[in-house]
Amino acid sequence: MKEIKYVIKDELGIHARPAGLLVKEARRFQSEIILKKDNTSVDAKSILRIMGLGAKKGDEITMTFHGADEAEASTSIKAFLAANL
Amino acid sequence: MFNKLKEQLGLGSKDKEILILSPIKGEACSLEEVKDPVFSEKIMGEGLAIKPLAGRVVAPVDGTIGLIIGTKHAVSIVSEQGTEILIHVGLDTVKLNGEFYHAFVNTGDKVKAGDLLLEFDMEQIKASGYDVITPVVICNTSEYSVITPVIGVMVEELDRVVAIKK
Repeated sequence: MKEIKYVIKDELGIHARPAGLLVKEARRFQSEIILKKDNTSVDAKSILRIMGLGAKKGDEITMTFHGADEAEASTSIKAFLAANL
Repeated sequence: MFNKLKEQLGLGSKDKEILILSPIKGEACSLEEVKDPVFSEKIMGEGLAIKPLAGRVVAPVDGTIGLIIGTKHAVSIVSEQGTEILIHVGLDTVKLNGEFYHAFVNTGDKVKAGDLLLEFDMEQIKASGYDVITPVVICNTSEYSVITPVIGVMVEELDRVVAIKK
């Protein structure tokens, strides 16, 4: 299992476009990827679940990765978050 | 055995076509026309876009409001069969922060096709420099084998715009 934490810096938070791009990235991997904010955990491969979190600037999210390609997935998503959110 | 027979006759739920009705009056066009790659490259899912002629969004199916975004420019509905539909009114309109939009439903509300979900002031949105084209996409596209949108015609509210098969 791999885990990363990230504090959102984008003014608009995780709205439709970044949610779509994050899902596109997450779907490249076989691992189960979970995105958690406060006490709500959602599948990071579902656009609507991610948008439903309503994550805003300053919110901390935690992402966990389980599976054969978890190391690669966590590295890649970490870079994605830094570049996009 | 009865189920097997139904399936062979194409009556089983597996083969049943799911219809999505138009949430907006306007011109149905291809997602490729949308000037935002998350929609035009179908990252958000298959579907179509509507160039609105009226500032009203109605429920395209019977279902439950999955999400009404705080800024009221987008709404999702999960149909009774589990189809996840996102209606995103305008491009980049998250930046309007809810101005010119009015929501009539809340997350979790049960709706019937045709129920009013949102109203938006098209002229003000355009005057603020935004494209009002409205993608209507199936977010759980990967669960279906065929998604056929209607493209290149004028549609009224509740005209059939997408046919879906498992």
